[in-house]
Amino acid sequence: MKQKLSSLYGRDGTKAVLASLISILIGLAVGSVIILIVGLANPALGLSSAWDGIRLVFGGLVSTGRDAAGSLTFGFNPTNMGNMLFRATPLILTGLSVAVAFKTGLFNIGAPGQYLMGTAATLMIALGIPSETVPAWLIWALAFVGGILAGALWGCLPGLVKAFLNINEVLACIMTNWIAANLVTWMFDGSQFRNVVENTKSGYIYKTSFNGVETAKLGLNKLFPNSQVNGGIVIAVVIAVLVYILMSKTTLGYQLKACGSNRHAARYAGINDKRNIVLSMAIAGGLSGAAAALYYLSGNTEFFWSTYQSLPAIGFNGIPVALLAANNPIAVIFTGCFMSMLDIVGLQLTNLTAYNEYITDVIIATIVYLSAFSLLIRMLLDGRKKRKKAMVAQAGGTNTGAGPSSGAQEGGEQA
Amino acid sequence: MQSENVIEMLHITKEFPGIIANDDITLQLRRGEIHALLGENGAGKSTLMSVLFGLYQPEAGTIKKNGEVVKINDPNDATALGIGMVHQHFKLIEVFTVLDNIILGAETTRMGFLQKKAARAKVEALSERYGLKVDLDAKVEDITVGMQQRVEILKMLYRDNEILIFDEPTAVLTPQEIDELMATMREFAKEGKSILFISHKLNEIMAVADRVTVLRKGKYIGTVETKDTDKQSLSNMMVGRPVQLEVVKETARPGDAVLRVENLVVPSKGHKRNAVNNVSFEVHAGEILCIAGIDGNGQTELVYGLTGLEKSGGGSVTLCGHDISHASIRQRGTQMSHIPEDRHKHGLVLDFTLEQNMVLQRFQEPQFQHMGFIDRGAVRSYAEHLIEQYDVRSGQGPVTIARSMSGGNQQKAIIAREIDREKPLIVAVQPTRGLDVGAIEYIHSQLVAERDKGRAVLLVSLELDEVMSLSDRILVMYEGEIVGELDPKATNVQELGLYMAGAKRTTKAGEQV
Repeated sequence: MKQKLSSLYGRDGTKAVLASLISILIGLAVGSVIILIVGLANPALGLSSAWDGIRLVFGGLVSTGRDAAGSLTFGFNPTNMGNMLFRATPLILTGLSVAVAFKTGLFNIGAPGQYLMGTAATLMIALGIPSETVPAWLIWALAFVGGILAGALWGCLPGLVKAFLNINEVLACIMTNWIAANLVTWMFDGSQFRNVVENTKSGYIYKTSFNGVETAKLGLNKLFPNSQVNGGIVIAVVIAVLVYILMSKTTLGYQLKACGSNRHAARYAGINDKRNIVLSMAIAGGLSGAAAALYYLSGNTEFFWSTYQSLPAIGFNGIPVALLAANNPIAVIFTGCFMSMLDIVGLQLTNLTAYNEYITDVIIATIVYLSAFSLLIRMLLDGRKKRKKAMVAQAGGTNTGAGPSSGAQEGGEQA
Repeated sequence: MQSENVIEMLHITKEFPGIIANDDITLQLRRGEIHALLGENGAGKSTLMSVLFGLYQPEAGTIKKNGEVVKINDPNDATALGIGMVHQHFKLIEVFTVLDNIILGAETTRMGFLQKKAARAKVEALSERYGLKVDLDAKVEDITVGMQQRVEILKMLYRDNEILIFDEPTAVLTPQEIDELMATMREFAKEGKSILFISHKLNEIMAVADRVTVLRKGKYIGTVETKDTDKQSLSNMMVGRPVQLEVVKETARPGDAVLRVENLVVPSKGHKRNAVNNVSFEVHAGEILCIAGIDGNGQTELVYGLTGLEKSGGGSVTLCGHDISHASIRQRGTQMSHIPEDRHKHGLVLDFTLEQNMVLQRFQEPQFQHMGFIDRGAVRSYAEHLIEQYDVRSGQGPVTIARSMSGGNQQKAIIAREIDREKPLIVAVQPTRGLDVGAIEYIHSQLVAERDKGRAVLLVSLELDEVMSLSDRILVMYEGEIVGELDPKATNVQELGLYMAGAKRTTKAGEQV
């Protein structure tokens, strides 16, 4: 049993998971400390509010409000759970977008722009095709595909300049992000999709439900009543599995990864490196576009349009989602849910305590920082393993021949 | 007699996780001798020297200097004891000048200001005395590899080191530079300095060393006087079995031309002059044609032009009757195997597993995929077959990450992959660089076997021995042009050297210029 455990511990995958978990725990701990400091510094809050805040940071998802005595109650909260899944849907997809690019050696910081282009295409198709003549499900499907294609097209641009002009994709992505932001504003500015029915609002686009187009609930609304959840999360999970299969089982994934980890060797082997760079960015862009499509096709979300468009945080948050998941498409499902859980935590903090939701931004920022350190944490884990082994060896234990990767590497170096 | 041994390393044992790099090794270095340390890749030579230089701490064993036990915790201790080392990969700061590099870490200062004048005088004196020509004010990035090595040697002399360690110093040098280095080493020994010389090149060891200590797989095999031994018995000691030093091959029976190159031009990166200028030649089935030359005379670019890694700037390349001047790399790959010069840059995806690397060109063939899905079972069994047939050694077989394998086995993996593709033309660029005798013997016999199967082999090599023993025909490249065609049976190393240095050339018709 112990041997089984230690072999599990020695696996790279286990180490990656551990490193991410440690990042998350430290992030939550730092958030708690900040809550404590703010609580003590602000006379309106005090220690008891700080304690409430800390408990919400760790258990916001399962908080059910306050009881008659005014203390926090915890238990299964289907609304929170459903909302978490709803908010996780686009995060999983932008996370996949960043992860796919990372796996192929590219840093896709262009997810916000791809997301915006996906948004524009989805809304224009969903609202532009009259539902009196065309069945709603068909409009839904067209809008979904349109969003993916628009994102893919937008992802292609940095890929093309990278492949043919050797311009760093990070620079190109940042530029295309802002081009997308202003392009989308301009397009909606001149469109007839501005919400003029609900007059209390200005600067919003119609919800797709105005046209009767909505993602099917698939019974999830019965499982999680009073929440925004819909079938989008199922689609996101299916896409994550498909991406996993694409990257690890197919010849296309093999080529993409070969180009990503050694472009020269890929070229040497006759793999078209330029094509694969463009393709990889197109896939990444398509995933970001899908994120936007699923978010806005839910029917109850509104796209805020104004004269000045900022970049959507969902796009950027794909980066920590991918980093925490160590770019594993399946792990992205969980880290996406985790990041959206932090959103819920923020809402709970605002609703139930005098703290505001921005504290969760601090926690997210800390986790993002630490996820960049996850490699270091992994190395520390490695060091611990080595020390343990040395102790075992000294105690006269048999050399199990374990640690072959590190051992062989050092063996190779001293050759 | 009492202090004849300057350095004694007694019963040194150094372990790394999963491997014993040095197992009870004893090495005694006498004053004023050149002592060679011989062993295959991974035999533990570099580890032993790193222990002496204070980079590693041994688990067991003692080090004595002049009979007294010393403890060497880091390279500073080693320097204090007069031990200096020229590493295989030079430890120089590229953007610093030669002088700055030499005094770095041993600067004389007054009130915090560098006193370069005295340092310059001392370095100049040393450089004069030993004939180590360097340009003190040039930046290291601008000087040749040979001069960089002289800088490293001057660094040791500047620190008044008495014990000099050379870790594979000749691997990067031209034949002429090797001769100069040997002369310098002899000069040092004559003055009473002691030299430890790590190498697996038997010629050099026989030429310059007084005694040889042989290591094999981390174990001490023995110490012999060079005058009592010969290359054959040394290589047997090193490999542990009788080794065939000479390439055994029958006379070539060349067939039709497989590759025909006409007036090929490959433009150079960064220079106006073409890297390959108007080169024409043919390679026939059943022959090994060798392109000889000093590194940097256009051989690399010629191969890039042939394999498609670089676009040609003119001329034509015909392979098996098809014009491939503008064909893609993949199209060319259908008729051509390529053992690349840089196995880390081109040869392998280092973060892939061995089995993934084995199908780098072939993953799209029907036997390895179905409808775009890679058939892992087929890839695994193919990789296992290659590993077995070509004796590629690795920690975990097919799933070993290529990066963790030793250089020799990485090269063997590439050779297995390329030869097994069974293409009419094999382009092999420095296929044995950095490998030990055992591996070299193996690779040479493979190339000869392929030749005898009727394949055309284009060999690019910087090693004169390899050129002379393996090739059926030699073309010498100098400054991007072919300056002569030689018959290895009718020429000698000296004549070849003259062509390589550009001192001699023959025109197409064969008349000398």
